Amino acid sequence: MYRPTLTSSILTLNRRQVLKAGGAAVLTTPFVSRAWAATTEINMLAWYGHGEPDIVAEYEAANNVKFVPKYYAGGDNMLALIAQSPPGTYDLILSDAEFVQQLNAAGYIEEMNPDDYPLDDMLHEDFSQFPGHWADGKMYSMILRGGHLGVSYNKNSVTAKEAESYSCFWKPELKGKVGHFDWHLPNLGQMSLYDGNGASLWNLNDTQWSKVQETTMSLRPQIGGFFDYGGTFNGLKNGEMQAMVGIGDWITGVLEKDGAPVASVIPKEGGIQFTESYSIGKGSEKAEEAKKFIQYMMSPAGQVKSAQMLAYPGFCVTKAGRAALIEADLEEAKRSHQIDGDAQDPITLIKEGRIHYRDIPQQQTLEDWNDFWSEYKSA
Amino acid sequence: MKQSQTLNFILGIYVVMIFAFVFAPIIFSMVFSFNSQRFPTIPLGEFSTEWYEKVLADPDIWKAARNSLIVSFSTALIATFLGFCTAYSDFRYNFRFKGPYLALILLPPTIPLIIMALAMLAWLSKIGMSGQLYSIIIAHSVLTAPFAMAVIRLRLNQMDPDLESAAWNLGGSEWKTMRYVIVPFCKPAIFSSLFLTAAVSFDEFAVSWFVSGLNSTLPVVVLEIVQGNIDPQVNAIGTFVFLTSMTLVVLAQLFFASRQIKGMQS
Amino acid sequence: MSEKYEIRLNIYALTWRLPIIFWQLIFFVGPVLFMVAMSFFLVKNYRMNEAFEFVNWSRMMTRGFFWDSYWYTLGIATLSTFCAMCVAFPAAFALAFRAAESTRRWAIFLLIIPFFTSYLVRTFSWFVILSESGVVNAVLGYVGLGPFKMLNTDFGTLVGYMTLTLPLVVILQTVTMANIDKSLIEAARNLGCSPLRTIWQVIIPLSKTGLIIAAIFCFILSFGDFVAPFYLGGSQEPTLPILILDTTKSGQQWPRAAVVAIMMMVTLFVIAFTGIALAYRKGKGSK
Repeated sequence: MYRPTLTSSILTLNRRQVLKAGGAAVLTTPFVSRAWAATTEINMLAWYGHGEPDIVAEYEAANNVKFVPKYYAGGDNMLALIAQSPPGTYDLILSDAEFVQQLNAAGYIEEMNPDDYPLDDMLHEDFSQFPGHWADGKMYSMILRGGHLGVSYNKNSVTAKEAESYSCFWKPELKGKVGHFDWHLPNLGQMSLYDGNGASLWNLNDTQWSKVQETTMSLRPQIGGFFDYGGTFNGLKNGEMQAMVGIGDWITGVLEKDGAPVASVIPKEGGIQFTESYSIGKGSEKAEEAKKFIQYMMSPAGQVKSAQMLAYPGFCVTKAGRAALIEADLEEAKRSHQIDGDAQDPITLIKEGRIHYRDIPQQQTLEDWNDFWSEYKSA
Repeated sequence: MKQSQTLNFILGIYVVMIFAFVFAPIIFSMVFSFNSQRFPTIPLGEFSTEWYEKVLADPDIWKAARNSLIVSFSTALIATFLGFCTAYSDFRYNFRFKGPYLALILLPPTIPLIIMALAMLAWLSKIGMSGQLYSIIIAHSVLTAPFAMAVIRLRLNQMDPDLESAAWNLGGSEWKTMRYVIVPFCKPAIFSSLFLTAAVSFDEFAVSWFVSGLNSTLPVVVLEIVQGNIDPQVNAIGTFVFLTSMTLVVLAQLFFASRQIKGMQS
Repeated sequence: MSEKYEIRLNIYALTWRLPIIFWQLIFFVGPVLFMVAMSFFLVKNYRMNEAFEFVNWSRMMTRGFFWDSYWYTLGIATLSTFCAMCVAFPAAFALAFRAAESTRRWAIFLLIIPFFTSYLVRTFSWFVILSESGVVNAVLGYVGLGPFKMLNTDFGTLVGYMTLTLPLVVILQTVTMANIDKSLIEAARNLGCSPLRTIWQVIIPLSKTGLIIAAIFCFILSFGDFVAPFYLGGSQEPTLPILILDTTKSGQQWPRAAVVAIMMMVTLFVIAFTGIALAYRKGKGSK
């Protein structure tokens, strides 16, 4: 005996109604209505942020192009990805300077014409022939921006005076509250500087390398954890970590703007510079368009955008770019010391020899350094 | 009786606590998605929908969402089909090399994802099938087929083994028996396996990042944001996904319940 | 399962048996074999070259930090499995024996929801809940209990593992126990067994298969997870998945990472097979 109950009729009705409503919803979502008529697509392989609207939207609108970014976290992932992708998949490659050597050695990037770029407008003569960007007198990569790594600390537990030396990381009050950015290169580089190796911080003989390992091991009891990008932000913001080794303004700058009591300074032992550069992928069919975009990013307008990048800040490398930044955003220029004459001006620091470009170790292999890093973590 | 009532009460509270543990991160994520602060801390900032606006305005995220749906839907179909075939073969037949046969489908979860990811990418490139959406579908179906097989196999366990023989004795061919007896019996398990495999595929980011080339899925977008930006956008995306799946689950429950009611019609 | 049907090599049987063989051979065995081969490759100029050298193996096996990480991972995965199984059991028991059929169905469906939400996003939520200035410590602070360090410790890692495995373990345990022949439990009660004794000597042995399968899944998931020990444990200490990722950072050393992966794979195979053998073994008088 079947009596249609209220529930069953509601259920059967609802099913049809729901399907109809669902169908309508799917059809009206924005992505269907976007009409990119005859827009050139440029594939970009970069750190997060370089393909975001705050950097590329203006250029995209003016030149009828669309950037398709693929973001990586770590140059090694990038290399693996390129290695396994058909040549020409990526038109634009943004990488850290020391990876340019690896990209080139493996044959993944195209040669570039120096005349196309403002090499004579660089803030520092090193930038026009940046180490690793040139091979056999040919240019393979264009320097875009840079940042400095030093002592990053929470102002509530480390004074500015203490932060003038890496030794503040060993402060007893900071036990368990010092963190590492999880990459051996900048961390061991900073330890090498602390040991007094100065300009030869990457070029260590056996004795020096043993000393660096010893110094690093002595820091282990202070360490509260090893973090990637996200973990670093959270650790510093939450206060779990009161100091961080291996980072700089590129992280604390973002947190500072967000109101956290953190800062980064270059200590007296010296700091490390990371540099980001653009290359053109080998076999790319859009090499012309890629070149035009790199030229845009090297122009004053592009340099300002790069300095103001929402994901993480970096300093301008051209004179015209710096001038444009001061005019457009004096506050940011002041915050990042990009003013001629400022004591912490990044360019002045390089000229004074207090900044050393990040590089791969010379006398040991990357595996040696990385193996030690793994050992250090397990200690 | 009184003893059993207190015990039931305690058990009930315990179950609620378990659910609280499981859902707390999801609830918090939803709360943060409306929080004005970029890096959430206690106490919270103000109520804001800026992260949702950012997510909804980004065509890349819509594309990734569409890709995710296509991938998980296709994965669910393929994995469930493969799982059903294997479960049935295991249930019905004993043959030589049955052990290795089962190992073939059950081993994928034992391999660490990141190595599986690279191996998949290298292999699929070699055979010219990488960098597309179907690359992810292939990889995911391999990863999720074991779950489908397990679910359907468990259900087949509950079937009276003589049911099949009875159907044959009554004159049905093997194919007809499959169609009218076994498949309907397995329907709940097939349904669950579709959901389960879709779910696993939907949240998988390690293999997807490597194999997908330029076609991102939603978890890949989340991974990229998390590793490069730290932005409550991920919480906004997470909330969308959560609400969508809640709706699907509720609908599935209603379908299931209504079918039961229909079954009572005489 | 009558033997006379199996002797005929028929289309029917093959239709069901073959798809998985073809699919997995091409898309699973292929990559795995390639990974094993990869462990013998050499890396020159940051490019992998096909070769057959043992240097990757000898280097990795002689490294102290590899074995430290190996035993640590084994230990914490076991601990995680133990915790998850114990924490899930009372809830599964309640859902299997005290809840109505529809409640149980709803509960299981609800527990599938976390699978549809991003594991990464859920892990990040724990930052705010567990940090020293976070929710839990704030609440404990009201009662006067000091701030506890929960992140970047083994505790944090365990919380992360449970976030990953608890829903699955509860579902598997519930389904297993709900399918036990209830008449056997009644019989035990009628014969005067106390509730605890019933659980220990009747319910658990009857659900042995399902429980072991749940434990195996939980172990495999914990053993291979990278997110929990990295984000919530601060890599203190690094587990094998973290080591794999780290190894790839030494100049494209994917072959060496493959060595670690193979060791993980072999370990998991051994544990999984032992477990399954235990699960399906007919014990004396267990039925």
